[in-house]
Amino acid sequence: MATAAPQFPNVPTRGRALPAFGIVGWRWISRNPAVAITPVLLPFIFLYFLSLISPPSLLPLEIIGAMLFTMQNIGSWTLGDSAFWRIECSLQDMFVASPLSRIRYLFGIAFSNLIAMLPALVILLVLLMWVGGQHGYPFTPLAAVALFAGLFALWILFSSIGIAISSRIQTQREIWPVGNLTFTFLGMLSPLYYPISALPLLWQDVARFFPTTYAALLVQGALGITPATPLQMAFYAALLGISAIAGLAITLRLYRWGDR
Amino acid sequence: MRTEVTLPPSRPFAGTAAFLWTEVIVQSNERMAMVTSMIVPGVILVFVEILNPALISVALVGAILFSTFTMGQRVLNEAAYLRIDHKANDLYLAGPMTPEAYFLGMSFGIMIVYLAPTIFLGILAAIVVPLTLATALLLFVLAAVVWVFAASTGYVFSTFFRDNRAIWAYSSLFFNVFGVLAPVFYPLGLFPAALRPIVLLMPPSAAAALVQAAIGATTLSPGQVALAVGGLAVETVLLFAFAIYWARRTVRAD
Repeated sequence: MATAAPQFPNVPTRGRALPAFGIVGWRWISRNPAVAITPVLLPFIFLYFLSLISPPSLLPLEIIGAMLFTMQNIGSWTLGDSAFWRIECSLQDMFVASPLSRIRYLFGIAFSNLIAMLPALVILLVLLMWVGGQHGYPFTPLAAVALFAGLFALWILFSSIGIAISSRIQTQREIWPVGNLTFTFLGMLSPLYYPISALPLLWQDVARFFPTTYAALLVQGALGITPATPLQMAFYAALLGISAIAGLAITLRLYRWGDR
Repeated sequence: MRTEVTLPPSRPFAGTAAFLWTEVIVQSNERMAMVTSMIVPGVILVFVEILNPALISVALVGAILFSTFTMGQRVLNEAAYLRIDHKANDLYLAGPMTPEAYFLGMSFGIMIVYLAPTIFLGILAAIVVPLTLATALLLFVLAAVVWVFAASTGYVFSTFFRDNRAIWAYSSLFFNVFGVLAPVFYPLGLFPAALRPIVLLMPPSAAAALVQAAIGATTLSPGQVALAVGGLAVETVLLFAFAIYWARRTVRAD
């Protein structure tokens, strides 16, 4: 059986997945203006609504929530793309037959969707620095590290959840409801837009099973919005890592690549 | 051998009832989509209850209007799915069923199936707000008008797409701008005064403002009432008429 390497000996087969999917992500948003605008506007629409109904003191916390929710929402877009390419375009068969591994495929789609979300994240970051500074929560190097660690963990975890669910979807009609239900529900259970103390006790206990909760608590603690000792911060970081790894392990088990 | 089959000309709206029940059966199997239809209003109600419980009455009546509004999103998705993915609209429209029956049957079928969450919200509103008979009737009429607007918009929008992937982005943006950004779940008084005429011309927020005024959550001047009622009536009638015209025209264009 012929393989790509002997036929095309001068074509590199490594290190090309991320740039290729990066171009896919860029082409997708550059050809569809609403696709570029929607991920940028949606967090702000929600943030605007929340700022009207909640005390102004919660605004920095809500901006962090919008950033984490935007990152979590990449999972929904990853689910949509992956399912669309597999069901409508039958592209996954081609990827399975190529040297591309399923993990690189996952990172590729996650990366292409990250490109669409980057403008929203950058604007929210600038807003957080400005509003946080006004409310007495300066954006320190520790806050930056905590924020980027939280965003990175959620990006990987929710993209893998999205792709794992997408590999089980049978028709295009299921994509929108399944994605919407899963990611909105997960986002709502975690205290992204309000302090965890505002939730009923039972809900607080349930929320502690979700990595997004620890990402939120870690970033809120690093900025000083929700007081936390260094030991508590380390605890949140460890639980974020453990729950993310556990979630990743489960989703990779569910993720179907070439067996169907 | 070639056989010529000549169908008699269909009377207007012929086939509406048949396609309505087809769509009811199809949509009844979409349990996940039915649950999802409650997600956004549910999330917003939870947020309002946690962050500002004083606004829960306004949010509840807003949720009823929003849930009828998002039925238009289901019409958009369904019409696009049948046309793009299944290519089934060609098959349906090659028969005696008229194009307007296809649009209306689909819209009514979706409405019947997705009415259950709206009724649940209505019962909740009757307990929490509470609603007088006159306010309940007003809410019912306005929700029906918002549904006609949303279904017409959804159907017309669906004809512009060539792939299902692009629909999610556009429909999310449209339904969030009209339903979440505009004062549907919160009182009109919290929205910037200078921009209120704009949201009073947007059917979901116009309907919400009228109900908010009826329950005493918002005060509207006679001019604002006229703007909301006039805008709602004119836009809905025009858009519905356009959807009927567009349904017929797009068939001829094919």
